[in-house]
Amino acid sequence: MSTTITHSPVAHETPSSDQHTISAVQRIANVAKLHLVNRGAVLWLPLFIMSVIWVSSMLIWWIVSVLIERAGGSPDGEGPVIMGGANSFLVIYMLVVAVQAINLTFPFAQGYSVTRRDFYLGSALTFLGLSLFYAVLMSGLAWLEAATGGWGLNGYMFGLGMLGIVELAPTFYVYLLALLLFFFVGAAVAAMYVRWRAWGVVGFFTALGFLVIGLIALATFTDNWGVVGEWLVANGAVGVALWSLIVTAAAGVAGFFILRHATPRA
Amino acid sequence: MNAAIEVSNLSRHFGDIRAVDNVSFTVTEGGIYGLLGRNGAGKTTLMQLLTAQDFATSGTIKIFGESPVENASVLQHISFIKESQKYPDDFKVKHVLKSAPWFFRNWDADFANSLVSDFRLPTDRRIKKLSRGQLSAVGVIVGLASRAPLTFFDEPYLGLDAVARQLFYDRLLEDYSQHPRTVVLSTHLIDEVSNLLEHVIVIDDGRIIVDESAESLRGTAATVAGTKTAVDAFATGRRVLHRENVGGLASVTVDALSPTDRAAAAKAGLELSPVSLQQLIVRLTNTSEKEFEQSA
Repeated sequence: MSTTITHSPVAHETPSSDQHTISAVQRIANVAKLHLVNRGAVLWLPLFIMSVIWVSSMLIWWIVSVLIERAGGSPDGEGPVIMGGANSFLVIYMLVVAVQAINLTFPFAQGYSVTRRDFYLGSALTFLGLSLFYAVLMSGLAWLEAATGGWGLNGYMFGLGMLGIVELAPTFYVYLLALLLFFFVGAAVAAMYVRWRAWGVVGFFTALGFLVIGLIALATFTDNWGVVGEWLVANGAVGVALWSLIVTAAAGVAGFFILRHATPRA
Repeated sequence: MNAAIEVSNLSRHFGDIRAVDNVSFTVTEGGIYGLLGRNGAGKTTLMQLLTAQDFATSGTIKIFGESPVENASVLQHISFIKESQKYPDDFKVKHVLKSAPWFFRNWDADFANSLVSDFRLPTDRRIKKLSRGQLSAVGVIVGLASRAPLTFFDEPYLGLDAVARQLFYDRLLEDYSQHPRTVVLSTHLIDEVSNLLEHVIVIDDGRIIVDESAESLRGTAATVAGTKTAVDAFATGRRVLHRENVGGLASVTVDALSPTDRAAAAKAGLELSPVSLQQLIVRLTNTSEKEFEQSA
């Protein structure tokens, strides 16, 4: 420790000695890998909670169906029992995953000297990948559920029968579009928080609230609720889900530009 | 020699607060620089600006000749784990060790692993559960093993015990001699690092008040003690950084003492003693040493 440093003849580490520059594609892929390095938060935890909701709901339905049979009724006679919960939990939880990704992984990636652009594009890639993965999983479970007659109990949790969707392809699309919507809306709101802190988010939701009230007033005073209803019926669940792409895309673009000038703070 | 960092007229204001106030300096490639100053002096803000984590209010920054803002070709040569670095929820030490090589091309995994055992860091523990010292060790390991051409250490040994601090200095010096690079060490514990530093930049209240080689800073200043009359006579016409009087005795800290001055002082029966870097900087920043240490 008492020695002062003398310049050694070894060449300095300089940007030019740091030969292998990383290509943009590689850098973006690295951000996606960073999001997935701790699989617990993005895969195991949501899958575990979803399974608990599903299994416990099925057990309760099983108990109820036994009671119905004992009382001399037939559980099947009531028609299929459609339960929500597990699937909506998973879709909503992805909003939490997106918020965590932007709020915590962004400052961390800044410590790894990642540009905001690379970080956002890598995050978007991750969200797209996770949406595809979960949409395949959920529609796969919906298919299996239908094939086994509601897991042998006539109880349905993953199929989208309540939305009038029976076939596999539209089930997949609706899940995919819903997941993308929750990911990118979560990311945009989290970007607002990172850039403008709590007041930014409060300001946004206040403005959004007044906008919604304004639209409701508009539809009410112009007697156009019928038109809205017709539009929803005409488009169907898949059509409405497709329209959500406008919101998803707007959130995705807004998130990018908001994060471009955000600063990670302690 | 090429410049690693070139800063001119850089300012960063937060409302009325001038965290960095019209700062200009150059850091040449290769060398260990000390960025010293009290807490809240602007060290972290300055480093955040240099690493493009924050945006300047005005002025220019060039890192290896280019602006670092959103510039991946520059940023990938920089390592900067802040003292207050945030980590993703439930991240463990092993996740840091696994992901760091994707972002630092010079990453040395063997070196990182040996540092992990040196610092006795539990790799399977959540970052959240680490002690302050262990958290600092994570930053130190990333900073050392990344071997980035421009490496920042921000208060690297906050919470580290004496053994771990010594370990950091030893490993830094060993690795630096094998892989010289540009290192900027930000700290308020000046005496601990003074022997490491080749160049010292002192920031106070957002402004740079010292930008000199450690050698010249250390070599020139001295404390001159003796009878009040002799000291006064000697001090006349010199820049006195600090003065103490006890009865008929006095001591003054003066900078820029030449060998002739030293001889003259000895002849006048005055006692010369060296001034530590920390004392000198405390004198220069015009704050009492006590106050300085309290900020630590």
